[in-house]
Amino acid sequence: MSKLLKIMLLGCLSMSAFAEEAKLEKIQVPTDKPSIAKGAEDWINNCLTCHTMKYVKYRDLLSLGIDKAKVDGWRGEASLDTPLTAQMPEAVAMATFAKLPPDLSLMAQARDGGPNYVYSYLIGYYVKPDGSVGNHIFPETKMPDPLGISSAANAAERAEKQKTAKSIVTFLTWAADPHAGERDTLGKYVIAYLVVLSALLYVVKKQIWSRLK
Amino acid sequence: MSGPIINWIDKRFPLTSFVKHELTDYPTPRNLSYWWNFGFLAGIVLVLQVATGIFLAMHYKADATLAFDSIQHIMREVNYGWLLRYMHAVGASAFFFVIFVHMARTLYYGSFRAPRELLWWTGQGLLLMLMATAFMGYLLPWGQMSFWGATVITNLFKVTPFIGEQVVIWLRGDYSVGDDTLTRFFSLHYLFPFLIIGAVIVHLVALHTVKSSNPSGIDLKDKDNIPFHPYFTAKDLYGLGIFLIVYSVFVFFMPNSLIEPANNVPANPMMTPNHIVPEWYFLPFYAILRSVPNMFGGVVAMALSVMMFAFMPFLDRSRIPGGARYRPIYRLQFYLFLIDMLVLGYVGYKPPTNPSIVVVGQVATFCYFASFFVVPFVSKMEENWLIKRGLPAGIMELMEREKRDLEARKEEHRRRKGDRI
Repeated sequence: MSKLLKIMLLGCLSMSAFAEEAKLEKIQVPTDKPSIAKGAEDWINNCLTCHTMKYVKYRDLLSLGIDKAKVDGWRGEASLDTPLTAQMPEAVAMATFAKLPPDLSLMAQARDGGPNYVYSYLIGYYVKPDGSVGNHIFPETKMPDPLGISSAANAAERAEKQKTAKSIVTFLTWAADPHAGERDTLGKYVIAYLVVLSALLYVVKKQIWSRLK
Repeated sequence: MSGPIINWIDKRFPLTSFVKHELTDYPTPRNLSYWWNFGFLAGIVLVLQVATGIFLAMHYKADATLAFDSIQHIMREVNYGWLLRYMHAVGASAFFFVIFVHMARTLYYGSFRAPRELLWWTGQGLLLMLMATAFMGYLLPWGQMSFWGATVITNLFKVTPFIGEQVVIWLRGDYSVGDDTLTRFFSLHYLFPFLIIGAVIVHLVALHTVKSSNPSGIDLKDKDNIPFHPYFTAKDLYGLGIFLIVYSVFVFFMPNSLIEPANNVPANPMMTPNHIVPEWYFLPFYAILRSVPNMFGGVVAMALSVMMFAFMPFLDRSRIPGGARYRPIYRLQFYLFLIDMLVLGYVGYKPPTNPSIVVVGQVATFCYFASFFVVPFVSKMEENWLIKRGLPAGIMELMEREKRDLEARKEEHRRRKGDRI
C-alpha cells in the first residue's frame, strides 16, 4: 500500500511542477457559413500577401456562399481550381524573412491548443520597453504584427482587431477540416441510430436469455 | 440445417458439423460477464480496420513527396474520405483499448492459467503483431510525429550486438528514415493485418480446444454451459452496439483528440519537434524505455515489459482458481499494477526535462517489474493464508480433487514406467 501512496504523492508533485505554460485565450469558434465566409475575406485581406493555403481552392470559397464576383476579383487570371497562393514570390519571402511563411491550410490543427493558439498568437503582439514588437505566445516569431494590434490606440480599436483575429481563426478552423460541419450532422444521425439499435439488441438479448431457466 | 443444397455441401465439406461444433453446440459458461465481450469486439475492430484500410490504400500514395498531400486529398476530395480516415485512425486506438481490456480481464480472472497457456501466448503474439502494425501505420501520414517517431524507434535497434548499425539501415532501407522506409512500412502495414487474421484463427482454435474460462474460475458442469449461439451471439451484439456508440462519438465529434497536432505538419528531417511522443497506447512502454539511463538497458527493459505477461502462467503459483475473485491480495496487486500503468502512461507523455518526472518514471518502472517478480512468492503465501483462513467448500473441494488427480497421474506414470522395466 505504501508503494501506491508514494506513487500518488510523486504524481501530485510532478503535476504541480508542470503547471507553467503560456496561457492561451479560449474562444468559441463559430461554425456557421456566414462567419466562415467573413473569415475568408479577412484572411485574404490580411494573410494572403505572404501565406499560401495549398489545400484550399478558390472554388471552395464559392461553397461558403461568397459572391462569385468577389472570388473572381481575388483570383484574377488564375482558374477557380487554383489553390490560394501567396502573392509574395518565394524568393522575396526568403530574402525578407530568411524562411518561407508556413502554409496555413492546417494551421488551426497543427499547434497544441488549436484555434486558441492561433488566436492568442495573433493578439499576442506587444511593444517591448526597447520599442520593438514582441509576441507573448511565440517569442521567436518572424512574422511582423499582421493586424497591428500592438499599436492599437485604444480599447475600442483593440477590440475591433480582436474581432478580426477571431474571424480569421474561424476561417482557418474551417480550412483545416472543411467537412467538420457535415461530420457533425452525420454523427448525430449515426449515434441516434446506434442508440436505437443497441436498445433493440438489448431487448433481443433479454428475450433470448429468458429461455434459460 | 437441412435442404438439398446443404446436404450436397455436407457430403463434400463439413459445413453443418462445423457450425454445430463451433457455434450452435459450442458449450459456453453461462456466467460469463460483459468483460468476456472484448475478444469478440477485438475481432470486429480488426475487420473494421482492414475494411477501411483497403479503401484508404486506394487513395493513399506511399511516396515521401506525395504521402502528406494524399492524406489531405483523402480528407478533402475523396467522397467520405474523411470518414474512412477518421474511422481508421480512431480504430487503431479502439483496437488497443479493446485489447488492453481483454488482457486485463485475463489477468484479473487468471484466465491464463492451465490449460489456457497456449491461448494466452498466441494472444501475446497477436499483441506484438498489433504493435508492429500500428507503429508502421503511424509513419504513413508522413507528418512530423510520424517521421520522428519512426526515427526514434528504428534507432533503438542500434543496440543489437555487433550488427546494430546494419540492422537500423536494413530496417530503414536508407541511412535515415526516408522514402524507402515509407514504402516498406506501407507494404508491411498492408501485409501484417492478414498475418494477424491467421494468428487470430490459431487463437480461436486454441480457445475452442480449452473453452472459455469463466468468472468463477471453476470448470463448470455441463448443465451450466449453454450454446454460444444464440445466447452469446445476442450478448456480444448488444455489447457491440454499446462499443460502436463510444467509437462513433470519437469518430464524429472528437476525431482529432487522439491525433498529435505536430502530425499536421509535414515531415521535416531538418527540424526536430520540441517533444516526440508516441501514440497513447505506447506511452507506458515508452516511459519504461526512457526510465533506464542506458540505451541498451532501456530497449531490453521495454521489450521485456511487453513480454512479461507471457510469464504469468509460470509466475502465478497459487492453486486457488478464479484469479482475483477469491484472492484479495492478487486483486490488490492487480489494481496496483493498473495504477502503475497509468502513472507510466503519464510519465511517457511528459517531456523528460523535469527531474521529478524522471524519478517518478524510474519508481514506476521498478514497480512494474517488481509486481511481476513478487507474484510467485505472494501467490504461494496468499494460498497458504487463504487455506488457513478457510475457503468456500466448492473451491476447497476442487483443489482437493485437482490434487488427487495429480497424484493419480503421477501414480499412473510411475506404474507404467515400472511395467516397462
